[in-house]
Parts: sequence; C-alpha cells; structure tokens
Amino acid sequence: MSLLKTEDVTSGYGGMEILHDVSIEVREGEIVTIIGPNGAGKSTLMKTIFGLLKATAGRITFAEEDITCLPPDRIVRRGMAYVPQVENVFTSLTVHENLEMGAFIVTTDCTCRMEEVYDLFPILRARRKQRVGKMSGGECQMVAMGRALMLNPRLLMLDEPSAALAPNLTATIFDRITAINESGVALLIVEQNAKESLRLSDRGYVLAGGRNRLEDTGRNLLANEEVGQLYLGG
Amino acid sequence: MDILARIPQLLVYGVISGSILTLGGIGVSLTYSILGFSNFAYGDMMALGAYIALGVFTLFASWGIADHPFGALSFGFGFVLACIVAIGLTAVAVVLIDRVLFKRLRRSSPVILMMSSIGVALALRNIIQFFWGPQPHYYIEKIQIAVVVPGLGIRIKPDQVFIILVAVLLVVLLHTFLKYTKMGKAMRAMADNSALARVTGINTNRVILWTWVIGGMLAATAGILAGIENKFVTPELGWQMLLSIFAAVVLGGIGNPYGAIVGGMAIGISEEVSTAFISTGYKPAVAFIIMILMLLVRPTGLLGKRR
Repeated sequence: MSLLKTEDVTSGYGGMEILHDVSIEVREGEIVTIIGPNGAGKSTLMKTIFGLLKATAGRITFAEEDITCLPPDRIVRRGMAYVPQVENVFTSLTVHENLEMGAFIVTTDCTCRMEEVYDLFPILRARRKQRVGKMSGGECQMVAMGRALMLNPRLLMLDEPSAALAPNLTATIFDRITAINESGVALLIVEQNAKESLRLSDRGYVLAGGRNRLEDTGRNLLANEEVGQLYLGG
Repeated sequence: MDILARIPQLLVYGVISGSILTLGGIGVSLTYSILGFSNFAYGDMMALGAYIALGVFTLFASWGIADHPFGALSFGFGFVLACIVAIGLTAVAVVLIDRVLFKRLRRSSPVILMMSSIGVALALRNIIQFFWGPQPHYYIEKIQIAVVVPGLGIRIKPDQVFIILVAVLLVVLLHTFLKYTKMGKAMRAMADNSALARVTGINTNRVILWTWVIGGMLAATAGILAGIENKFVTPELGWQMLLSIFAAVVLGGIGNPYGAIVGGMAIGISEEVSTAFISTGYKPAVAFIIMILMLLVRPTGLLGKRR
C-alpha cells in the first residue's frame, strides 16, 4: 500500500523554483533512497514533504490523505517523522530531554518507547544525562534519529544520515537503519553515500536539476552504468 | 579608608537592586530567546504591573480589606494579595498585547518587532499616565527603620530582605519549571532551535503563550518590588530601569535566563559600588559602560553560547 506519494510537486525558496514536477512514492515498510548531485533538490523535496516549504503546485498524500498544505507540527501527528541534515538535535538539552521532546505530542507514558529507542542505540542509554552539544557527530545522529523514533512513526525521513561521519560510524548508522526498518517503519533517505544506501533500499530515485531522472530498484540502480558514472563516483 | 568602609553597605544595596534587575533580565532574556527580539516594552510592562497592584490595592482598601503589616514589614496581607492579583492581571494584559500586535508580526524581522515594542512601551506609559497622572504615587507610606546586622556593620530594612527573598524564590521556581516540567523543557528546546521544535511537533504557539505569561508575571513582580524599594511609583519606573536590565542581559548572555541572574547581580552591585567613587547621577553610565565593554570583548556574554 502506498504510504507517501508526491504527485508533480513543484516548490522552491522565495520565488526561486528548485523542484519541477517531482513524483515519488514510498510504500508501507519500504526503504527508498533518493540520490542525485549536489543541488538536485533532494533536501528541498524533503522540506516540501514535511511542510517546511510550500509546494506551489502538485499534491502530497500520506496514507491516502492530502497533506500538501499542512504545517510540520500537524504532519508529525499523522505518523511521519523527519531528521534534518544539520542542526537536528537540541544541543543545550540532554540526550534524555531530546528524546522526551521527540514525544512532546504523546500524552501517554513514553518510558516504554524510550527503552526501545535506548535498546536500538545502547550508547545513548549510557549517556542519557549528557548534554548533546558535547557529543560526537555519530552520537548526535543517533540522538536525532532516536528523537524522531519516539513518535513511533510509520515513515521516517532521513536527510543525509551519514554526512560527515567516519566510515565505521556510517556502517553503524546503516545497520541501525536496517533494524528500524525491520521493526516495520518505512524510510525515505536522501544520501550522498549513495552506494551504501542503495544496497539496503527496496527502491531508489535519481533526481537531477530538480526533476525526476530515473526510478528503479536499489539493486538495478547500483548496477546501472550511467548512474554509477554520474552519481556514484564511478 | 572611609570609602572602603562604605563598600559592604553598598554591596547590600547592590544585591537589592540586583534582585530586581535579575527578575527583569530573566523576562527580557526569555522573550528574546523564544521570540527573537529585544522587548523594549519590558520596562513599561513592569510599570504596568506596579500600577495595577496600586489600583487593586486601592480597590481593596475601598472594600474595607484592611492591611495590617506583617511583623517587621511595612505592608501586610492586603497588599500581598493585591500584588498577586496584579501579577495575574499583568500576565493577561501582556498576552493580550501579544494577540493584538506581536502575533501578527511573528514572521517579521527582529528590527520590526523591536520597533513595535518601542511603540508598545510609549503606549503603555501614556495609558498609565492617563489613569494615574504623571505625579509619583506613594506605594507604602509607613517609614521603616533599617536594622543593623551585628558584626558586619551593615544596615538593611525588613522590606529589602523581603525583596531579596522574593527574587530568590522566583529564580528557584523558574529553574524548577525550566528543568523539570515538559513545558519548561519545550521552552528550552524552542530557544535552542525553533525550526527543529516545529519539526518535532512541539506546539510552538503554546510555548509562546507560556513565555508571555511568565514574562508578564516576572515584569509585574519586578515592578512591584521596585515600588516597594522606592516607596513610590512613577510612570517612568520601568523605562528608567530598562537600560540597566539590558546591560544585565547582555553581560550575562542574551537568551540565557541563568546569565540574567549573573548579569543582574553584577550590574546592580557595580552601579551601587560606583557611588563610593563617583556621583550617584552616573549610575546609568556605569551600566552603559559595562554593556559596551562586554559587547566589544565578548558579545555573547558571560554565559552565552558561542555561535
């Protein structure tokens, strides 16, 4: 079943159009990766889906319902969570407080959910009282993902989860992404580290110049010679 | 030697005025961190609180609610009750100002918001003048004798002890609120990163409402305490203190309520101690000089985060 769908979405910043008629789809339980060169509009697409930028044309649906014009705090309530590429943690708060804020809209007790998140990222349990501002890039990324998972979302959107991480940490993050997916959460990932991400993706999209270029399974995109040369570094 | 002997006493005065500056500073800092602008109306919100308290107290007196002084204090239950009612009313008034004005400007640049806050400042001061006139009003008519603290050679009035205790109590309450309640944490989260707060689903409108309520309550308390310390109120009460409050906030690090405590005390004490060396008339200049030096040396303030 289709979970998230954009249909011919056009958007941009202050009159400057960056996305032109982009259509993508994420089905229930899938991992979908969007790759493309710098400036292809990958992050813009994420921000538009999440209501941070206004779509000037087209339609965005989540679980068959129109969310095109909804603000982010309403979209969150429908079961979609988003981890921005930068500034994705509350640096002056502790790990524990970051997770609590992730569950801000949950009125019931969230201790149970928090334990699940700590099970997913055991290192965070040990550092729960530490301020996030003093933690490493990899740990911050885990806090950011943990915060988003507190809502028990049906779809998690990750913008460049492995950007600026050491290779061994990248492996950990991708390993966790698989674990999150196995717990039934669909993922939409924008990645620079495209090979790694496509390897575990069900499907992928290539975006260039703000337009859809290609759509295929992760495996086929990896094998595609043109994609390899242009976007995966040969 | 004569000058040095006066310093302990001046330190006491510094702590008293520092207590009032601290409360004002925390309010300014909170508004800045959540709403992103320097609220020039804050001084006049303080004055508004002080005058509402005066109005409620007069009303109580006309209803025959007697005000028997508590122990050594120069005021009693009737006055404290009037103040509590006034603190609530001021919070309501401040929220109304937000609904009518600032809410419509939420997406405007900080300069626009700051300029409109100057407008609010002028409007409030003139509304106060319209109802109560420009002349000073006595807050407390009873004359209070200072108590000598044995051994230290300093004198302090019971009312002044009350001022310090109220400030300490409010700082502790605010700390507890920010540190342990969900809304307090959400306020810190929004001050830290408001874009992420929205993405996380934090109800930013409710956070803003709470910010104004707390800011209004702190303003009213600071205004009332200033009235108790001076014994009278004038419409310029808050405006006159605003410079020192901004100096305190800049010194401590704007946007950090804990910085406002450090800054408020430091400015209060420096202003008072300076009177041992230079004329009392230069007090505001002392605050100004400290503010300018801080902006030159470390614009983020003592406890401010580096960006």
